[in-house]
Amino acid sequence: MRVSFIIGYGVPKFSILLRPHGSCYLCRPMCSSSTSALTTSQKPRTSLFLRPPTHSATLSDLQKWQNWAKNLASSVGSTFVDLDNGPDSTLLRRELKWLVEDVTEDGSISAEQQRNIRLRVSLEELYKLWKQRIEERRPFQYIVGCEHWRDLVLCVEEGVLIPRPETEKLVDLVADVVSDNQGLREGLWADMGTGTGAIAIGIGMILRSYGRIIATDLSPLAVGVATFNVQRHGLQDVIEIRQGSWFEPLKDVEGKLAGIVSNPPYIPSDHISGLQAEVGRHEPKMALDGGVNGMNDLLHLCKGAASMLKPGGFLAFETNGEKQCKHLVEYMETNAGGIFCDVNLVPDFAGVHRFVTAFHK
Amino acid sequence: MVLASGYDALEGKNNGFSSISSLPMVKGSLEYNGVRVPFSLCRCFGTATAVEPSTSDGLTVQGIIANDWTILNESENDWKSHAAAIAQSIHLIKKRLQWKKLVVRLDMLSAELNKPDLWNDPVHGGKVSREHGSLMGKMKGVLAFEQELLEHIDMIKLAREENDAELEWESVKALLNMRRISKEKELEALLAGEQDPCSCYIEVQAGAGGTESMDWAAMVMQMYKMWAQQRGYRITVVDEMPGEIAGIKRATIKVDGEYAFGYAKAEVGVHRLVRISPFDSNRRRHTSFAAVAVIPILGDGSSRVRINESDLRIERFRAGGPGGQHANTTESAVRIVHIPTGVTATCQNERSQHQNKASAMAVLQCRLDQLEMARQAQMNAQHTKSLTDITWGSQIRSYVLHPYRMVKDLRTNYEVSDPDSVLEGDLDGFIMSYLSASLDKDDNP
Repeated sequence: MRVSFIIGYGVPKFSILLRPHGSCYLCRPMCSSSTSALTTSQKPRTSLFLRPPTHSATLSDLQKWQNWAKNLASSVGSTFVDLDNGPDSTLLRRELKWLVEDVTEDGSISAEQQRNIRLRVSLEELYKLWKQRIEERRPFQYIVGCEHWRDLVLCVEEGVLIPRPETEKLVDLVADVVSDNQGLREGLWADMGTGTGAIAIGIGMILRSYGRIIATDLSPLAVGVATFNVQRHGLQDVIEIRQGSWFEPLKDVEGKLAGIVSNPPYIPSDHISGLQAEVGRHEPKMALDGGVNGMNDLLHLCKGAASMLKPGGFLAFETNGEKQCKHLVEYMETNAGGIFCDVNLVPDFAGVHRFVTAFHK
Repeated sequence: MVLASGYDALEGKNNGFSSISSLPMVKGSLEYNGVRVPFSLCRCFGTATAVEPSTSDGLTVQGIIANDWTILNESENDWKSHAAAIAQSIHLIKKRLQWKKLVVRLDMLSAELNKPDLWNDPVHGGKVSREHGSLMGKMKGVLAFEQELLEHIDMIKLAREENDAELEWESVKALLNMRRISKEKELEALLAGEQDPCSCYIEVQAGAGGTESMDWAAMVMQMYKMWAQQRGYRITVVDEMPGEIAGIKRATIKVDGEYAFGYAKAEVGVHRLVRISPFDSNRRRHTSFAAVAVIPILGDGSSRVRINESDLRIERFRAGGPGGQHANTTESAVRIVHIPTGVTATCQNERSQHQNKASAMAVLQCRLDQLEMARQAQMNAQHTKSLTDITWGSQIRSYVLHPYRMVKDLRTNYEVSDPDSVLEGDLDGFIMSYLSASLDKDDNP
């Protein structure tokens, strides 16, 4: 099934006409889950909603597709939920609605429209994309090439971690501390392992003309996507993207940072194989695997923060939950030589202790 | 300060006055609330029992109605017929606006505006001044219309005395025009409530009875979506809890557009369906219920309830598993609980948690506003009627698909024998008949 699928849809001619590097992205998601190695171009692919509506289909053909897709979604029932806590039919049908929103010009398919509806991808592609969603469990965000996060729409593609809803709160935590602290508001911030650039852009929206942010990532693919997202939000004067591992590209600002935020890989290595299919099969392990107990990168960041932050500086990290939070707090309070103060645990909206915040003395 | 603001409220909407002061009546001005205002205004607003506006020979709107002139078709160019039709409209409009209460309320507000310490509380001061201005505007509009009618009658009499056929023709034409406008004004007067121009949320909740009722709730929601679409309103689904097998447990939609609340408020209550159940293999007849609530979305000008962040509990909806990097989900719904009141709001149809939270907050704000309005209405005898408007209410309408076909409103007895058209959103007949029945039955003015 899967093989014939690739042959059938491997390199559709329309995408070559549309964009020179279209063929590259099309084969990537299907070949492997560790996709970054195959990438030659760092230019991100264009999210569906940003493409020009150069295709069209008749209303009845489109409705046929929509019904087919709905039925496919309904056939899932709670199979994925039972299997690995994946999406159920209700969620998939909602995603279908959003897919339609992204590929049509006025966001829906309705009988009042003209017989021919302009589309941002071909009908053939729509069939293919929805099949990928259901049969391969390809994440919806990779299908449409974007993730709505806070009040932003971020472009995302294979090889770059899809920002999680929980992580939105990291930005709120920063907004809270800068609201009554001018020193932090006008300082230099760092987002370590920025991925799509989500956290940096979220904070950038708050700091605007006051402060500046450096966002780093080891993956050249992530650097490409983050750069694109920063530009799309007009924040290139506020956010600088640097490629490299953790603090390596930040040597010139040692001891000068007003704040460090990060959502580093924190999943324990032995959990990786049992992850939900959307995550385990499609998202980059580099952005997920945090070593034996998942704490490798968090501890590395904590140690580094001690020397990178200036006095009074702030840090906020996302973790895997209560166990890691407590571990980090214990480290900061006892092993970090009394450098940190006001160490705090913050829960996410599901009540999981998700974040650790602290100040540099 | 007090005087200045009082003056603003009077002068701010003074455009309508140029026509009144040109009328053939005693002109002048008096001291009122410490400022000079045209005499006519004092006469109408200063004391509720003042002399009614009249023609030069003493004919009033009430007088015209009492004359019982025959009302002919618009095409008959008979000035008495036009005048009688307009006078009846004015009477109806005043009734719909609850004129007597309006006069009492305006007197109260005027007295309030006169208090020297009014602006010690700027929020309260602003509220009083705003309401005063808005009532004033409403009343002035009707009075100007009334004066215009009497002026044209004077003109016709004058024209007849002087055998000026052209002037008479002009005036009759003007009356005909007024007669047409008066029909629109009657409709406008149906929606004269303070919150009527607002957008709103419509909520539908399935009654007891499982799948059967959930399916009915979905049908009701679909009916409102189609109704709103036909009226040109923009609809957004805010919250939707699907039933296990079919339909919805509950859903909330936002209806954006002018007078959405004014119309939709007529739909509050329990809607009953009788049909052969498609879910019953024995094809028995079933009765299902769905409750409808309508919440106005107050504009920025209104005073809204202040919500303390610390009074809120925000929860991830349908949370489970370790979350974070472990999970890829497009589900980011949140539920916000306002702890002191227990009022909750949920949004799950936005694409980010941040947006879901913002939408849920907007719903919560409106629910709390409505609760506060109900609390104030309880204290303010004038508005007790609105209290019933906000609860889920009692049964208002019956939709029978079997053994006969009919939709009947239990409040007005308005009925339609084609349930399909109603379920496809053709609700205006029900809404209008309810609005006029609820306003016209009062002994006003």
